[in-house]
Amino acid sequence: MRYKSQSVAYWYFAIAMVLFGLQLVFGLLSAAKYLGPDPLLNILPFDVTKTIHTNLLIVWVLTGFMGATYWMVPDESRTELYSTKLAYIQLGLWTVMGVTAVIGYLFGYGTGNKLLEQPLPHKIVIVICMLIFLYNIGMTIKKSGRFTTTEGVLLLGLGSAAVLYLPALLHYENYVVSIYYRWWTIHLWVEGVWEMIQGGFLAYLLIRLSGADREVMEKWLYVIVGLVFIAGIIGTAHHYYWIGVPTYWLPIGGLFSALEPVALVGMAMYAYYAMRRSGLAHPNKLALHWTIGSALFTMFGAGLLGLAHTFPSVNKWTHGTLITAMHGHAAFYGAYVMIVLAMITYAMPSITRRENVDGTNLGYWAFWLQLAGMFGMTLSFGTAGIGQVYLERILGMGYLDTQLKIQVHFLMLVATGSLFALGVGMFIYDFFRFPPRLSVGDSEPLPITTTSAARPGL
Amino acid sequence: MNKRQTRLFAVISTAIAAVAFLGMTLDTHRQFPALTHSENITPAVTRGKDVWHENNCINCHTIFGEGAYYAPDLTKISQHRGAPYLTAFLKDPSKFYDEKRHRRLMPQPNLNDQEISDLIAFFDWVANVDNQGWPPRPILVTGSSIPGTTLTVAQQDASGPGRTTDPMPPGARPVSGSDDPIALGEALFGTATPVCNACHSIAPGVNLAGPTLAGIATRALETIASPEYAGSADSVEAYIRESITKPSAYLHPGEMYSAGGTSFMPNNYAESLTDEQIDQLAAYLATFK
Repeated sequence: MRYKSQSVAYWYFAIAMVLFGLQLVFGLLSAAKYLGPDPLLNILPFDVTKTIHTNLLIVWVLTGFMGATYWMVPDESRTELYSTKLAYIQLGLWTVMGVTAVIGYLFGYGTGNKLLEQPLPHKIVIVICMLIFLYNIGMTIKKSGRFTTTEGVLLLGLGSAAVLYLPALLHYENYVVSIYYRWWTIHLWVEGVWEMIQGGFLAYLLIRLSGADREVMEKWLYVIVGLVFIAGIIGTAHHYYWIGVPTYWLPIGGLFSALEPVALVGMAMYAYYAMRRSGLAHPNKLALHWTIGSALFTMFGAGLLGLAHTFPSVNKWTHGTLITAMHGHAAFYGAYVMIVLAMITYAMPSITRRENVDGTNLGYWAFWLQLAGMFGMTLSFGTAGIGQVYLERILGMGYLDTQLKIQVHFLMLVATGSLFALGVGMFIYDFFRFPPRLSVGDSEPLPITTTSAARPGL
Repeated sequence: MNKRQTRLFAVISTAIAAVAFLGMTLDTHRQFPALTHSENITPAVTRGKDVWHENNCINCHTIFGEGAYYAPDLTKISQHRGAPYLTAFLKDPSKFYDEKRHRRLMPQPNLNDQEISDLIAFFDWVANVDNQGWPPRPILVTGSSIPGTTLTVAQQDASGPGRTTDPMPPGARPVSGSDDPIALGEALFGTATPVCNACHSIAPGVNLAGPTLAGIATRALETIASPEYAGSADSVEAYIRESITKPSAYLHPGEMYSAGGTSFMPNNYAESLTDEQIDQLAAYLATFK
C-alpha cells in the first residue's frame, strides 16, 4: 500500500465478504427447497430466499467493485483519495441500504420486479451512493492530473452503470414495456458496462502482476471494449425473445449474441498473452490464479454456456428453464465474483498484516474448492435443465411431474453447492484472520506497486 | 494498430451499436400497441399487474419465460385453466396439490376476491400478447402426454407404498377400480408386462409384431360372425378378453403372427393381470370401432 487512503478498500472488501457469505446461506436454502417438502414454506418461502440470494450478489459485487476502485485509482493516479471521509460515508449509506433491503424482503417489502426488487427509497440511495462514489473518484483523478486508460475504461464502466440504473426507477403501465427497459439495466450492466469494469481491473492486474507493457495492454483493452459493445449492446436482443416485441429481434439476437463470446475469448487471450510475454514472475501467485481464472471461467460460463442457448431455434425450447440458471451461475461467478476476489487477493498482502505475499495454503484451497464447487453446480443445473427441456418442453410432461423426475440433479446441486460454500468460507476466513494494515508501514513484505517483480524495492 | 486507432475502434463501434439499438427501440415502441394489444390494458389488468408484483410472484414463476424456475410458467395459464379454477386455486393452493407428493406447494397467497379477479385479468392479457407463438407446445403444470404415462407419476403408484385411503387433491389421487375403466385400460395398455404397445399400435394400418388394434371392435364382430371362428366369445368385450387370455383361440391371418396353430402373443396375461385389469383393457380396446 503506497497511499494511506487505499485502506478504505479494506472496509469495502470486509463488507463484501460478509455479504458474500450471507448470499450463500440464502443460495443453499433456495437449493434445498428444490428437494422439498419445505418446512419453511409459510415462514421463508422460495421467492424470498431467491430474492435475497440475487440481491446480495448485486450488492456485494458492487461493494467489491467500489472497494477495488478505491484501491486501484490512487495506485494508477499516484495520489491519495480526494476524500476518505466521503468514501466511508458512502460505504455506511450503501451498507445500510443493502441490509435494510434484505430485512425488508424478509417481510415482503419489494417491487416484485426480478433483480430490481429494491423499493424506491433504496433505489434512490443506490443512485446517491453511486454519485458520491463517482464524484470522489473523479476528484481524485482531477487532483492528480494523471489519468490512465485503464482508469478511464473503469470509470466509464462505473459511470454508465449508474446511468443505466435510471430506467429501473421509472414505472410503466405496459408489462411488456417494463420488461423491455428492465433489460437496459440488467443486461447492459452484466453484458456491457460490468464487462468494461472487469476489463479495467483485468488490465490493471495483468500490468501489475505480469509486468506486461502498459501501452500494449491498454491498446488491447480498447479493442476488447469495442468488441464488448458491438455485441453487447445489440445483444440485448436475446432477452427480447418471446416477450411481445417485433420478430426482427430474433435473428438480430442470434447473430449478435453469437458475437458476444468473441470479446470474452479476447479477454482470455489477453491474459494468456500477458503471461507469455512477461512470465509469471510476480510473487503473488494466488492473485495470478484468480486473475487468469476469471478470464478463463468467463469464457466458459458467460461465453460458451451463453452461446449454448442463445440461438432462437434452441432458446424456444430452453427459455425459462434451469438451463438459464446454469449459464447465470457460471457467468456471474467467472466474470464478476472471480475478478473481485482477484483484486482482494492482490491487495491482501499490503492491506492486511499478512506476511506471506504468495498467498496462504488456505487461500489456494479456497480457490480450488470454489472452482470445483461452481463447476459442479453448473453441471447440476445443466443436467437438470436438459432433463427439464426434453421432458417438459419437448415431450409435454407436466412441470411438477418433470421436477420430480430430475430430483437427483438437485441433490447434486446441494452437494456441489456445499463444496463451493466451503471454499468461500475458507476465503472469508483467510481474509479476516489477518488484521487490517491501516497505515503505510515500512514492514510491508513487498511493494507490489512496481511494474516488474524482478525489481523489488523500487 | 496503434493506441489511438484502437480507441477510435472502441468509440466508433460503440456509437454505431448504440445508434442501431436506439433505432430499433423506437421502432419497437411504434409496434408495442399492436403486439401487446395495449387497448386491452384495462384498470383491472393494471391492478392485476400490481398484485403480481406485490406478491413477488416472479421469484418462483415465469411469465414469457422470465422469472424464477421454481414454479410453472404462467404465460398461457388463463388459456389452460378457466377463471373459476384459477379463483379456487388462488384461494387455497393446498386443496389442489399435495406437498408430500409433489414436494412443492404454493404458499397461501392470501388474496381477496378483487385481487384474484384482477390477477386473472392480467394473466388473460398476458396470454394474448403476440410473442412469436412461444411456447412452441403448451407448458403444462401437471399431467403428461408421454405414451405410457398418461396418468401422472403420482397417480400410477396406486398400489405402492404411497397408497392411502385419505381424501387427496385431484392431481395426486391414486387411481382405484372405481375410476373410468376405459381410462385405466388405456394406462394399462402402456404399462402391463409384457407391454401391449410393444407389439400393437392403435394407429390404422400400422402393424408391428402384432396386428394394429385400430378398428378392432368392428373386426371382432366380423370374426365372431365368420365360420372359421371356433372360440366362445359372443360380444366384442368377450372376444378381446379371450384374445388376451387365450391368444391361440383365434389366429389372426398372417405368417408373422402365428405358426403351427399357436399365436406368437405371450400367453401369460391371464396370470399376470387381474380380472379387473383385463376388463379395463377390453373396455378400452372396444372403443376402437
